[in-house]
Amino acid sequence: MLRMHDVSKIYRTDLIETYALRKFSLEVAEGEFVAVTGPSGSGKTTFLNVAGLLEDFDAGSYELEGTDVRRLSDDARSRLRNERIGFIFQSFNLIPDLNVYDNVDVPLRYRRLTAADRDERINSALELVGLASRMKHMPAQLSGGQQQRVAIARAIAGDPAFLLADEPTGNLDSLMSRQVMDLLEQINEMGTTILLVTHDPELARRAQRNVHLIDGQISDFRAYEPRAAAVQAAAPGASGAPGSAFA
Amino acid sequence: MSLGVRPILSALLRNRTGAVLVAVQIAIALAVLVNALYIVVQRVEKIGRPTGIDEPNLLMILSTGFTARYQEVASIEEDLSWLRSLPGVVAASAISAVPLSGSGSAGALMPRPGAPPTDSVNHMEIDEQGIATLGVHLVAGRNFRHEEIQPPLTENNASQFVPEVIVSRALAEHLFPHQNPLGKPVYDLLGQSATIIGVIDPIMGNFPDNPHPDWLYLMPRLPAPFFDGVHYAVRTQPGQRDTVLRLAEAHLAKSNPDRVVNWVRPLSYFKNLSYLWDRAMEIYLLTVTALVIAVTCLGVFALATFNVSTRTKQIGTRRAVGARRRDIVRYFLIENGLITSSGVLVGCALALAAGYWLSLEYALPRLNLYYLVGGVLALWAIGQLAAWQPARRAATVPPSVATRTV
Amino acid sequence: MLGYYTRLALKSFGRNPGLTTLMVLAIALGIAVCIMTLTVYHAMSGNPIWWKNDRLYAVTMDNWDPNQPWRPDWTGPPPQMTYKDSQYLFSSNIPERKVVMYSVDGVISGVGSAAPERVSTRLTSADFFAMFEVPFLYGNGWSASADRPAQPVIVLSREENEKLFGGSNSVGRTLRWNDHEFRVIGVLDEWFPRPKYYDLNGGNFAPPDKAYIPQQWGIDLALLNNEDTDCWRAEKVDNYKEFIASDCVWQQMWVELPDAASRERMQSLIDGYWAEQHKAGRFPRARDNRLTNVAQWLRDNKVVDNDNRVLVGLAFAFLALCLINTVGLLLAKFLNGATITGVRRALGASRRQIFVQHLVEVGAVSVVGAALGLLLATLGLAAVHHLYAAAHLGQRGGYQELTHFDVVGVVWAVILAVAATVAAGLYPAWRIGQLPPAVYLKSQ
Repeated sequence: MLRMHDVSKIYRTDLIETYALRKFSLEVAEGEFVAVTGPSGSGKTTFLNVAGLLEDFDAGSYELEGTDVRRLSDDARSRLRNERIGFIFQSFNLIPDLNVYDNVDVPLRYRRLTAADRDERINSALELVGLASRMKHMPAQLSGGQQQRVAIARAIAGDPAFLLADEPTGNLDSLMSRQVMDLLEQINEMGTTILLVTHDPELARRAQRNVHLIDGQISDFRAYEPRAAAVQAAAPGASGAPGSAFA
Repeated sequence: MSLGVRPILSALLRNRTGAVLVAVQIAIALAVLVNALYIVVQRVEKIGRPTGIDEPNLLMILSTGFTARYQEVASIEEDLSWLRSLPGVVAASAISAVPLSGSGSAGALMPRPGAPPTDSVNHMEIDEQGIATLGVHLVAGRNFRHEEIQPPLTENNASQFVPEVIVSRALAEHLFPHQNPLGKPVYDLLGQSATIIGVIDPIMGNFPDNPHPDWLYLMPRLPAPFFDGVHYAVRTQPGQRDTVLRLAEAHLAKSNPDRVVNWVRPLSYFKNLSYLWDRAMEIYLLTVTALVIAVTCLGVFALATFNVSTRTKQIGTRRAVGARRRDIVRYFLIENGLITSSGVLVGCALALAAGYWLSLEYALPRLNLYYLVGGVLALWAIGQLAAWQPARRAATVPPSVATRTV
Repeated sequence: MLGYYTRLALKSFGRNPGLTTLMVLAIALGIAVCIMTLTVYHAMSGNPIWWKNDRLYAVTMDNWDPNQPWRPDWTGPPPQMTYKDSQYLFSSNIPERKVVMYSVDGVISGVGSAAPERVSTRLTSADFFAMFEVPFLYGNGWSASADRPAQPVIVLSREENEKLFGGSNSVGRTLRWNDHEFRVIGVLDEWFPRPKYYDLNGGNFAPPDKAYIPQQWGIDLALLNNEDTDCWRAEKVDNYKEFIASDCVWQQMWVELPDAASRERMQSLIDGYWAEQHKAGRFPRARDNRLTNVAQWLRDNKVVDNDNRVLVGLAFAFLALCLINTVGLLLAKFLNGATITGVRRALGASRRQIFVQHLVEVGAVSVVGAALGLLLATLGLAAVHHLYAAAHLGQRGGYQELTHFDVVGVVWAVILAVAATVAAGLYPAWRIGQLPPAVYLKSQ
């Protein structure tokens, strides 16, 4: 579904040239849950920006669902981001002046949808993340974990092809982190591809596959045991039933 | 894509302060713009009223006799024959006061003896070249003949009337509505009568600020020296006015030792003085209105810039979730549009209130609604234009801002 | 601490030069427009002899037409008196000082090689100079004995003396006025009351007359007023004798009454005279005899008209706009620097200290704005003065007289402007201190 081949991105200043990504290649199949890991400075954010069409790259090729991304105009990229990618940011990036409902609504407004259609999508997304009762609340009234779950609802409301999550639990405590990760797994089980970028190996272990970045290059591929076994080992008490932990 | 005004509005309402400040500025600007322009147009129309007089080519002269030897009629005849002989002079006349100057004489004039007196009617004394000198149009009847010109009033007959007069059309219409005024008698306060032998139109007399500046009657008589002295009006050919002025000044100063020539001035000097305050009002109102609009634009621009600069993360996020550049521009223009619209709405009320107060103070007709509509459209457009550049700049925020953590 | 805050303020200006400039400019413009408008308004509404406001009174009687008032938009007696009435009242001893006067155009000649010149001359009585506190440079006025029979004595204005005698002490010199010989007995010092309260008939800001002679000369030489003469009655006025006996109004009369008692007595005198004349067939309108003090006189004569009020209103609206604008810009500026403020708060600055720091910044902006505004106003008034003076061909009188800076008034205006701007800055300065520091230490 996602195919990057020998992608390089260079940051140039007057004095030096830095390769944030150096001939980076990655293939992600539909329905996979892939974690991209690496220490800070390894190029994870650059990878995220390139994968999410937030930034352009200097060499190589990137095909998303068969479309060559390089040839796309800014408008076409925006459209692709809107319809095919769902973002989850480390600092949630909710709009502080809008309530929960309106925050989830934001990407939907950039498409041609009827009001009824939007309303339905927002409601089911918020149901899924367990925050349907907080629709009118402002972000400032929610805990970090709740805010991130709203962000997840925003990401999935548009039925994206894949979710791109950037340190989704970086600003959360361990309980909330676990809730968020459970949710992501649940969403993955429902068929959505997930690309998770993190420096936390614990998190990475919950993915099916890991890609490790150092200095913009892949250092090793490691495929882990089937996820179910990893979850049982790492998180006692978590159950697989969708939505049950979050009433 | 739906406009999505409602979420923009709710976000705006939660963070009102800046918006309220700008909306108030816009409201004040609208009230000022509409009313100031209304007053300016009134003044422009007032100054632009037709006078019927050949203003650009007219000179006025004032001569005052001061010795016992001074002979009024001889002096007038000598001066006028010299003036009329100058090349470049079309006509010259003795005249009792300077037109358009705010200085002159007026008295009651009635269509029947003993009728209730009219408001004071402006009158001037001229000789047989007076009509030609002023350049007014005789639309009916005839000019005075040389033999009809009376000698100046003396200290013994100061309340005497004249046998015939020429009236302005507006005055004739007032005295004899829908009738032919020619041949009709008019009466002064003492019951003395004069026959109307001519009608002129258009004309403005000595008093531009009076309620009826176009009510005027002309008398065939040389001016008496009682008040200021003797005025002469001189009409030159186009372009000759200043030359004739210099010649007249030089000659008349020395030609008669029994009188002093107080001044030789173009008629435009007097007209400009009469309208000086109105013109000053125009300039002041236009200047301040322009400044008001400028400061308001500054306020709109500053708020829009501020909103953009404090919301770069939000802009990046919106771009990340799929907003195109023009969606961002649209967002900020809609937000600004809401502010501008509310400002304009309040401004309408303010403009109408101010207009009402002005109409009371000035006894003017109430504010014409076209001005209000025009002002609303203009200010709305200006308000949006001022936010255009910040909105464009907002669209340049790259989507990668969303993933930055600092 | 103030010095430290001032340095911070200057640094803050440097960080946002564009925004700061625009802020200062907006304030300066608002202040300049206000100062200019208020200067003109103040000149128009000033009472040049305010310290004598409870002593000087204009005398008027309503002798006008029973069918219509003197002017359509006028209530009350006409602003001038008939000769008959003013002469009668002038003979009374009740007022401490009294004056009856009017102005004519006279021609001055016979001074060296100077050409004959028409000058506006005031025909007045001896008390004029003391009543209106007219300053003398040389000599003095005449005494009451020179009023009647009228002595050939003349007082010159300073300007006229400059023109005729080069500014030297001309007391004792002779000249010809309307071809009669007059002796100079006094020269006035600089004197230009604005408005010309004692005689508004020739223009509210007309220059004072160039010469002054005893009033009886006008009667003896059968001279007519060079300002307004108004008549309403259908009466034959063929010659001067009939003119001065008529109901035409053309004379100004002022009295100086030291207290309420003398005022009452004067009023009774006038009313008594009115009753007598009314019985004889004059004064057909309802009785309206007035003693009006200068302040009220200026109001009655509408020296300040609607246009002035509109201009002042507009100036204040503009200033309000500029101040609101400033509040907005200050808010934006302060909130933009919020991160730094957050750091300061984290390092221990109290809300009050943050407030004072920002208030100093506001103060600095106000002072600079006010100074710039004052400069702009000065230039603006100078420009206006030149434009008006040019329209008057350089002569005095007219609106250019209104553009003189009244130093006291301007100082007040500037103080008020700075105070207003600082008041406008109170809210932003307070608001910036209210935010919890944490909000601004983190990224947005």
